[in-house]
Amino acid sequence: MKLFTSLKTRFVVWVWYHTPTCAEMSRLTSRALEQPLTLRMRMKMRLHFVICAWCRRYFEQINFLHEHAPRLGMRLGELPARGLSFEARSRIKTQVRRNLTLAL
Amino acid sequence: MSVESHIAAVPMAESPASPAPSPRLSDPERWVDEHGDYLFKYALSRLRDPLKAEDAVQETFLAALKGGKSFQGRSAEKSWLVGILKNKICDHYRKAGRETSFTDLEFYQDEESDRFIPDGPFKDGWIHEVGPQEWDSPGASLDSEVFWQTYRDCSNKLPKNVATVFNLREVDGVESKEICAMLNISENNLWVMLHRARMALRRCLETNWFAKQEGAK
Repeated sequence: MKLFTSLKTRFVVWVWYHTPTCAEMSRLTSRALEQPLTLRMRMKMRLHFVICAWCRRYFEQINFLHEHAPRLGMRLGELPARGLSFEARSRIKTQVRRNLTLAL
Repeated sequence: MSVESHIAAVPMAESPASPAPSPRLSDPERWVDEHGDYLFKYALSRLRDPLKAEDAVQETFLAALKGGKSFQGRSAEKSWLVGILKNKICDHYRKAGRETSFTDLEFYQDEESDRFIPDGPFKDGWIHEVGPQEWDSPGASLDSEVFWQTYRDCSNKLPKNVATVFNLREVDGVESKEICAMLNISENNLWVMLHRARMALRRCLETNWFAKQEGAK
């Protein structure tokens, strides 16, 4: 058991020194959404994930937000918020009416 | 949002041979009543200025009059108007990008640096207590209106230019290169801004939504 623990510690330390830091990992997580990373870099990230639950969560969460953000666009107009003011509404209607008569 | 309008979000081609009398010009004021608020909220969240948002909505209706098409469904009409509005907003950004620098230098300070170990052998590793925590069934949050309100409020808290970049890239799904051309910024700048935006938004959602969900149990 002791041997296992010591091997585990050595593995973690080895991986830590051979993979990007967590700060760097967070940048790479974002970068990967913009352009493909090299195979080597992807392998390094995978390896880092083995020892670091925080980076793994960060990666999953950023990808989750990336995947579902477009839904916000569809929701935006429906969420409770102030709409057009009365003045703006009538002004726009006047403009629309004027342009309508021009178009006809 | 109904299934019907979700499907209609796909850009509409000319309506297939529709002999039905076109309802479009009969009452354009109905447009303003029916879609005005929706468009205004959309524009306001992007432009963050009520006057500019009103202008964008007005321009949208006028452009719609010019390019008048007839529609069978009102949801199709709405997504068509939103499409025009998006273009108007992009025009606005293009103009702003030519006039001023879009790079938000103030936001460049590493606002997440307090989440990383500052020195020692594990420098730049997450501080375990304040690093990303487990999110409880994030998929279920997507159905909650309050979640999306939180999302919107969090993205409103981002610095204006960072939010612009984030919305174009993540919400509208515009490609990086296109955004760089539109806003006149380098790709590297874009990456940094996106990274900061995603990091800040993740943190804000964790604090204001996911941690509270956990606490509510």
